[in-house]
Amino acid sequence: MKNRTLAATIIRSVLLFCIGIFAVIFSIYYYYTRETIKETTRENAIFLANNTVNQIEQVLNPIEKIPDIIARMMESSFLTEDSLIPFLQSILKNNKTIFASAIAYEPSYFPEKGLYYAPYVFRQGDSISTTSLGGENYEYFFMDWYQIPKMTNSSYWSEPYFDEGGANILMTTYSTPFYTYKNGVRTFSGVVTIDVSLEFLKQIMSKLKILDTGYAFLISRNGVIITHPNQKYVMNESIFSIAKANNQPGMRSVGRNMVQGKSNFASADFKSKFKSGKLWINYISLPSSHWSIGVIYPESEMFASLRKINIILMLLVVFGLSLLSVFITRIINNITKPLKLLASSARLIASGNFNVKLPEIKTHDEMEELCDSFIYMQKELAEYIVTLKDTTSAKEKIESELRIAREIQMAMIPHIFPPFPDLPQIDVFAVLKSAKEVGGDLYDFFVIDGDKFCFAIGDVSGKGVPASLFMAVTRTLVRSISDKETSPSVIVTSLNKSLSDNNESSMFVTFFLGVLDLKTGLLKYCNAGHNPPVIIHGNGEVTMFEKTKYIPVGLFEDFDYQEISLQLEDGDKIFLYTDGVSEAENVDNKLFGDDTLMNIVSQNAKATPRDLIHRMEEEIATHVNGFTQSDDITMMTIVYDGKHNRS
Amino acid sequence: MNVEILAAADYSLVTVEGRVDTTNANEFEKSMLSVVDGGATKIVLDCAGLNYISSSGLRVFLIVQKKMIAIKGKFALCCLQPEIKEIFDISGFSSIFSIYADKEAAIKG
Repeated sequence: MKNRTLAATIIRSVLLFCIGIFAVIFSIYYYYTRETIKETTRENAIFLANNTVNQIEQVLNPIEKIPDIIARMMESSFLTEDSLIPFLQSILKNNKTIFASAIAYEPSYFPEKGLYYAPYVFRQGDSISTTSLGGENYEYFFMDWYQIPKMTNSSYWSEPYFDEGGANILMTTYSTPFYTYKNGVRTFSGVVTIDVSLEFLKQIMSKLKILDTGYAFLISRNGVIITHPNQKYVMNESIFSIAKANNQPGMRSVGRNMVQGKSNFASADFKSKFKSGKLWINYISLPSSHWSIGVIYPESEMFASLRKINIILMLLVVFGLSLLSVFITRIINNITKPLKLLASSARLIASGNFNVKLPEIKTHDEMEELCDSFIYMQKELAEYIVTLKDTTSAKEKIESELRIAREIQMAMIPHIFPPFPDLPQIDVFAVLKSAKEVGGDLYDFFVIDGDKFCFAIGDVSGKGVPASLFMAVTRTLVRSISDKETSPSVIVTSLNKSLSDNNESSMFVTFFLGVLDLKTGLLKYCNAGHNPPVIIHGNGEVTMFEKTKYIPVGLFEDFDYQEISLQLEDGDKIFLYTDGVSEAENVDNKLFGDDTLMNIVSQNAKATPRDLIHRMEEEIATHVNGFTQSDDITMMTIVYDGKHNRS
Repeated sequence: MNVEILAAADYSLVTVEGRVDTTNANEFEKSMLSVVDGGATKIVLDCAGLNYISSSGLRVFLIVQKKMIAIKGKFALCCLQPEIKEIFDISGFSSIFSIYADKEAAIKG
């Protein structure tokens, strides 16, 4: 997947598609063109063959007429015996194509002339000679040229032959029977023959122009080769002997069709030794002599034009596709140029340079849209970063303000221990650990009128700034109310009234306030919905205060809070806490619980307030085991040392 | 936390499950106020599935209670788990809420 460009991908797809389409079109075109060429060639071949047949017939037909006329003249006794030879001589004189002529009579037709009588006129050089056929060595009436017309009562073209004794040229003999009347009966009397040179066939056949190297050949009714470009075949081979020698059964069946006088144009399913390659053949028979003309077409030449066109087409396609590739590459490059610019800009932006100048794209298309979106994104990002910086600094500011708030809040509660070095009857220790920067827990203690020790612990509903503000209000109200009051119920009732007034947010404080008379050890307290504190008696006995029936302050302004009195003995301690202690949770949401709290208090009944609270802190830390502190934790322990009164 | 509200002919039954603490007290408040502002005159809050409640959650209870008192309606709690009941007891809230042992009693009461 290394650097595969979009252009390459598209070009590959488009080219594959084009090549596919072209292949289909080309196949169809090729098929139809080939069929057309085949049809044209066939028509041309048939025309050519017919034309050749006509040319040959034009020579042979007049020749056929001569013996026919002589025969009829003989039959009508027009020709007398004496005038035969001069007549034949004049025929030869007038017909250059006729090489010789004979009139052969039945044996002993003229008893006075003996068994044989056949005057024969023939050319010898430029002159015309006369002789007579027949003798003991040449009993002509047993020859084919005599026997066949006699038997069939019809004219006959002999198989071509070489006139070896004479001019040594290819000849054929046309013989026709003649009849005379003997005793009034039409009786076969002999045969009139004409020998024709077939040299003219060579000329006609060799004049045939078939494609570039195609050729024509002529076979006799027995398949003997009469003309062929290969002179060795002529009169020496037949189409069947050639087929056999070359083991070409296809040629044999064509030969059979040809001697049977059939005609056809077809792909030749044989190979020719004379002409290599795939061949087509057209053959047609001559009506008179029953010879057959075969015309051979080399397929490579037949479809040469098609091949040429194919090559041209291929070159055109390759050229066209190359052009298309170049075109696509240019288009894609034009399209993707902005993308590349954008991509490098994007990297700069990613590295934090928001002011990088983006490329200007005015293509009025999706690319421009993308670029616009990009510019928008860049702007938004820059703005976002600015906002983020502002927010972060604002947050830092708030955090630092919260830290300061916490310091102020902490400053509001007493945190110097021991607080009253000059009051030996009382010792106090307290801690407050907020879950957030500022919390809603509070504790407070102070001395009223010199011998009344007032202490309070409270927990504002909720956390954070609202709770801390409510806590501050509560603490301030308590201090101001207790300035002139020493009754817990009055203080709490008054506090509740002030807090409930216009308390739209329905925040509330669980609040425990006690006032201990240092001289008598009498504790008066009021519990407004706060966790019951624990009293640790001097003898180590530990009990929890009763649950309160008074609701937290800040809810209903005319709620009536009452106070309870309890006589403390020397060494009695009171352990106060908020629900952050009893409900400290670990990761499994398991609460610290009242029982654990009571156990730890019991185990540390003799400990100093400071040690008890530290011990409790350790136990809480062990319990939560690092889990986030969810609520403020506040603890306060008070020891009443009544013995100092007596001393 | 999961809150389901079912409005019947003469009361609305709200079922709260899970924990109601500082993080979702606002969401709980919105759900409850939607019932109150919807004109319900009697709301039964089924706390059978309520595992934990913080003071922020208690505040929501109080807001609903105050609003119901203002329209002379009724806000009944039922099926409090012992730990939750303990919190109500400790904070004295048991005295200002109508708490029932089961749903039928809460609907009737």
